[in-house]
Amino acid sequence: MTDSDHKPIIRLRNITKNYGNIRALQNVDLDIYMSQVLAVVGDNGAGKSTLIKVLSGAIKPSQGEIEVAGKVYTGLNPALAISLGISTVYQDLALVDTRDVAANLFLGRELVKFGWWLDKKLMLEKSKQLLRNLNVNIVDPQRMVSQLSGGQRQGIAVARAVNQGGKVIIFDEPTAAMGVNESRQILNLIKDLAEQGYAVIVVSHNLHHVLEISQRICVMKQGRLVANLETAQSSPSEIAHYITGVNNLEDDQEIAQ
Amino acid sequence: MIHRLWTKTQDYASQVLLGLILVAAIIYLSMVSEHFLTWFNIRNILDQSTLLVIMGVGMTFVICTAGIDLSVGAVVALSGICMATAMHSGLAVGPAILLGLLAGTIIGLLNGLIISAFNINPFIVTLGTMSVTRGIALIMTGGIPIYGFSTAFTWWGSGHIGPINPPMLLALGIALAGAVVLNYTKLGSYALALGGNEEALHRSGVATKKNKVIIYGICGFTAALAGLVVTARLNTAEPLAGYMFELDAIAAVVLGGTDMKGGRGSISGTVIACLLLGVLRNGLTIMSIPSYYQQLAIGLIILIAVIISELRFRNTLNRLQEAN
Amino acid sequence: MKMRKVGSLVLILALLVSLVGCGGSTQNSDNNQAAPTPQQSEAANAKMQEMEDILMAQLQPLPETNTGDKIGILVITLTNPFWVGMKEAYEAAGQELGVEVEVMAAPTENDSKSQLETLQAMTAKDYKALIISPIEPFNLVPGIVQANNKGIKVVNLGPGVDTAAVANAGGKIDGRICVDFEEQGKLAAEYIIEKMGSEGGKVAIIQGIPGAGQSEGRTQGAKKAFESAPNVELVSIQPANWDRNTAYNTATNLIQAHPDLKGIFCCNDVMALAAADALEAAGQREGKIIFGVDFIGEAAEAMKSGKLDGSIAYSSTVYAKAAVLLALKTIQEQEVPETVFSPLAVVTKENIDQYEGWK
Repeated sequence: MTDSDHKPIIRLRNITKNYGNIRALQNVDLDIYMSQVLAVVGDNGAGKSTLIKVLSGAIKPSQGEIEVAGKVYTGLNPALAISLGISTVYQDLALVDTRDVAANLFLGRELVKFGWWLDKKLMLEKSKQLLRNLNVNIVDPQRMVSQLSGGQRQGIAVARAVNQGGKVIIFDEPTAAMGVNESRQILNLIKDLAEQGYAVIVVSHNLHHVLEISQRICVMKQGRLVANLETAQSSPSEIAHYITGVNNLEDDQEIAQ
Repeated sequence: MIHRLWTKTQDYASQVLLGLILVAAIIYLSMVSEHFLTWFNIRNILDQSTLLVIMGVGMTFVICTAGIDLSVGAVVALSGICMATAMHSGLAVGPAILLGLLAGTIIGLLNGLIISAFNINPFIVTLGTMSVTRGIALIMTGGIPIYGFSTAFTWWGSGHIGPINPPMLLALGIALAGAVVLNYTKLGSYALALGGNEEALHRSGVATKKNKVIIYGICGFTAALAGLVVTARLNTAEPLAGYMFELDAIAAVVLGGTDMKGGRGSISGTVIACLLLGVLRNGLTIMSIPSYYQQLAIGLIILIAVIISELRFRNTLNRLQEAN
Repeated sequence: MKMRKVGSLVLILALLVSLVGCGGSTQNSDNNQAAPTPQQSEAANAKMQEMEDILMAQLQPLPETNTGDKIGILVITLTNPFWVGMKEAYEAAGQELGVEVEVMAAPTENDSKSQLETLQAMTAKDYKALIISPIEPFNLVPGIVQANNKGIKVVNLGPGVDTAAVANAGGKIDGRICVDFEEQGKLAAEYIIEKMGSEGGKVAIIQGIPGAGQSEGRTQGAKKAFESAPNVELVSIQPANWDRNTAYNTATNLIQAHPDLKGIFCCNDVMALAAADALEAAGQREGKIIFGVDFIGEAAEAMKSGKLDGSIAYSSTVYAKAAVLLALKTIQEQEVPETVFSPLAVVTKENIDQYEGWK
């Protein structure tokens, strides 16, 4: 399968983000396709998080355009991003610990009767269904999130992203701070999502995980997109080469300004 | 199923515990004084608790968001003065009441706007608006109470509806509405989420600022409603009315199991706490205990109840984490 | 483990409540059973006896005493020394007259809501009469109506309840006892006028908070006396809000504007003491008469040292006793005067020796 087989769901064009004199992102162009896992790798400070924040609507780019399903935006906010079908599983998971599982799954998308009365029963049922479909092992959606394990909490964050009804799900460092078993579960979940047709973007430090689950790999370095590779046709050493880089004196100088 | 029942009980443990303390206090007081458990006295306690319940409901919402509103006492005074001034300048009772309620609501909304627009600590913001509101109240009256209203107005404070009175009905209505809003509407859900994790709510695409403004507006509204009751009851609007009410309201809300750190809260807890405070104040007076001891006893009871609630919550967490 | 922790806390709570309860009742029984100390039944000095005689004359015929009636008393707050003194005076009067008194109060001077709640709770008890001193004219009105409805007599001591508001709410006050503020001002002014002698001179008044009852009453009384005296010119009436520092500045300004000022009447002792200090500091104390009201301890000292010329006093002991007698009269459905005034004493640096042991 090649890129030209179908149109991208999201196109980033010439995205630049400046924080004062610091260029966190420089002229990034990126296309995102359905049914694919796109991995974004790079060192700390390479611009991965900034790129994710642009997509999830946490920040607006200083320059450039975001085209989603044919419509062009100069920037998103969280509500807009979600309504355009872009959901994010944050590294800190962004769960409300003091509320129960169902309330978190439907946070911001509560189901109501008569236009205002929260339909708790329906949300509970749908929560169970949702968790079952995603193989998240939580018996009771009425439990408080603070009472759950790390893996279960991540399961909720993923389920919520799915429940937001979008087509694009962004994972920010999904396996950081996870045990071996829990990492395995989340990687399987990511692969499943792509097979079900979602466009999945994964930001990760872990090259092994990335190579295992992704179809394409983007390497970021010092705010630039330095490589956009097909996973099947690249090797760990090649990716590592792009990440650490050799001939990047020019970029270094630019950052220093 | 049993497990689920257990967790449900856990959810309401604060209220159950508080309810038990209330019942124990009532039993104890009715044993030591024959004057305590009379309908006359019960009616007193209910009547006196109404103000605290009405303000407590609004304050519960604010504290659920991990916020605080110190301006409610001053809003009580200002809204009463708005109603009084309006009536004395010829406005009918109904519109005058609405005007007063509007004034209080506006102060509340303003609190919310300043807090969310500039992202300033609610304590500081409402400390400021408290002083501003009290100042406006003093300026509007020149420091002199306004008194003498029609019975159509005083009915709201001292009228009769069978064995009960309008403030009790208002308090009941506000408490029920508050419980429904907190537990069964998006707004209530967002109030709790704002306190639990505001950033998470924002990232879920919810207009957090708008919801915060509305919640502070609700608190201003309930304070204004308390202003109606107190003004009508005393047939006087005075600029120093509601002095220190904010502290009573905060104490009742926290005693009721709402977490100052936000995210957890209950209207029923607040209502029980208001009744408990009412019963204690009344009971200690009936027992002729000097005011020094009353202050001490009520203060200690608040402290102990809050400590119990905190311990209970932490223990639950620890046990569940061990279980995982 | 958890249950035990919670359990022990609940126990502490229960203990606390009962402890406070016991503390309260022990105190009550102390009050009721302790043998009366001999000197309490006698006036502490001749001046107090004089006051008492004047007051008793207003209450003729005296009601039957030693009835054991329960009388509830609600003062403003026990964080103010004046009301603490009144509480003691009430309790002494209760013992002397053979009635049971219980004194309650609002937690603080401004807590008008709690004061009302306390009154309402008191109306649920079996008192025959209540003696109340409201924080402000309106806050106790609903409680008064409740007491009326329960057939409890209500006597108002000191700060006035707004009688129109009570009548409006369908209630009434059965008896009223207070200090005549105008009389206080008048007595003080008369002393100043007398001291200045026939040549007269310029005088000034330093008020409390404008609009406050005591302040206005005392000012009016003094003003009338000054204006009706020949050769006396009232040059200024300035408010100093009962505040020591404000009064100091006000007095300094007054003496600056009118160096030939001969007398200053201050609406309370605290302000009078400040005025004396200010004049002293300006080197102008000599030949000027400064008079206050209240006869506080510090004022007594100042009169002995000659710093203050005098003050207007009334006896808390006599005041409280009269209030209890008035309450007994209302209980016994006797005719009562519309308002009973506490007699006043003009204490000056000349007669201060006679006021040893005054309270």
